[in-house]
Amino acid sequence: MTESPAPAPTDAPPGLGQLFTGMLMVALSAFGGGLSAWSQRIIVEQRRWMSNEEFLTGLTVARLFPGPNQINMAVYVGTFFRGLPGALAALAGMLLVPFTLLMAIGLLYFQFHSLPALDRVLAGVVAAAAGMALSMGFKILDEYWKDPMALLLAAVTFVLMTFFHVRLVPLVLVAGPLAMAWYWPRRSQPGSPAGEPR
Amino acid sequence: MAPLLLAAAAEAASCAPMRLNDLGHLLQVMGTFLGLSLFSLGGGNTLLAEYHHLSVVQYCWLRPAQFADIYALAEAAPGPSSMIVGLLGMGAGWPEGPGWALLSAYGAEIAILLPSTLLMVVACLSWNRLRESPWRVAFERGLGPITLGILFAVGVKILQTADTNAPGVVVSLLVCVLMLRTRISPLWFMAVAGGLGAFGLINR
Repeated sequence: MTESPAPAPTDAPPGLGQLFTGMLMVALSAFGGGLSAWSQRIIVEQRRWMSNEEFLTGLTVARLFPGPNQINMAVYVGTFFRGLPGALAALAGMLLVPFTLLMAIGLLYFQFHSLPALDRVLAGVVAAAAGMALSMGFKILDEYWKDPMALLLAAVTFVLMTFFHVRLVPLVLVAGPLAMAWYWPRRSQPGSPAGEPR
Repeated sequence: MAPLLLAAAAEAASCAPMRLNDLGHLLQVMGTFLGLSLFSLGGGNTLLAEYHHLSVVQYCWLRPAQFADIYALAEAAPGPSSMIVGLLGMGAGWPEGPGWALLSAYGAEIAILLPSTLLMVVACLSWNRLRESPWRVAFERGLGPITLGILFAVGVKILQTADTNAPGVVVSLLVCVLMLRTRISPLWFMAVAGGLGAFGLINR
């Protein structure tokens, strides 16, 4: 009936409605942050739909493939039990409340953004948000610190985008395959994870 | 930094919106985001510089300050910050009235999510075969450093677009350090900085 046999710790696999309400609960619980921790708590611990390993596999797949991580995670949970319809139900549950709220904020913003008082407050908020944007690269810099080739690739990418205004799509289409060729796993070092680059 | 900021200002001044009818505009918005969906590496934030280019420079949906505002709102609002695409779509449709703006917002969000969702479904169903594939290993390890470079470029682009006075830039740098060194919720930073803006300490 479903793609995957139910593992030992789980109860009956959820239907479309349950996937919708489950992800709705995750989204509501996570107001203020910690979405991934909340989805683990609700899906693995409370509803016991999945084992922890299955959940962590989902995080790996969600981070690897294009798309926002948290949204990909909802797609994984939905697909795991009910295929594409499950994915859409989980996605709808995840996005319904936050997106509706964001639309309300957006309508208010476009209506009132020219009010001087609002503009002054936003000028401050924007400065803080810019700091958050600036921190994104530094957050994952540690993972690459010991790999000179990775740092070179990152530096070239940064310079091309910032100073030569190269657009994202051509950049990824050219640099992506080159980087993949460099990091193609080599068989010469059996036992080492994924073959160290030369 | 100064010449870069001037360049950003010049871009905005030269932006002239294309005239399309309502439906044409909606289709333009949806087509744009459909094409970008599969390029949202590393969780989607890598697309922000491209969003800026499209909405501020190419299609003139937003002025630079509006783009900065919208980025801040999407970060502050609960839920995945990648929903910023909905706000970009809303900005694109706003000149045609709130009804079209909402339609355009939903259209944009569906367009950005649809291709990546379909790919994700396929990936989940065939994960057992993909897991050991050399393609997966090479993709994961090769695209990681490129994502890193793009994220730095995005940070600089948002900082340029914020275009605040010197105290504002100091606050940006301070927030960046605090984001990395502490676990304080970023909502506090935005609240305090919003207060500084209200009192006129930060302006643009």
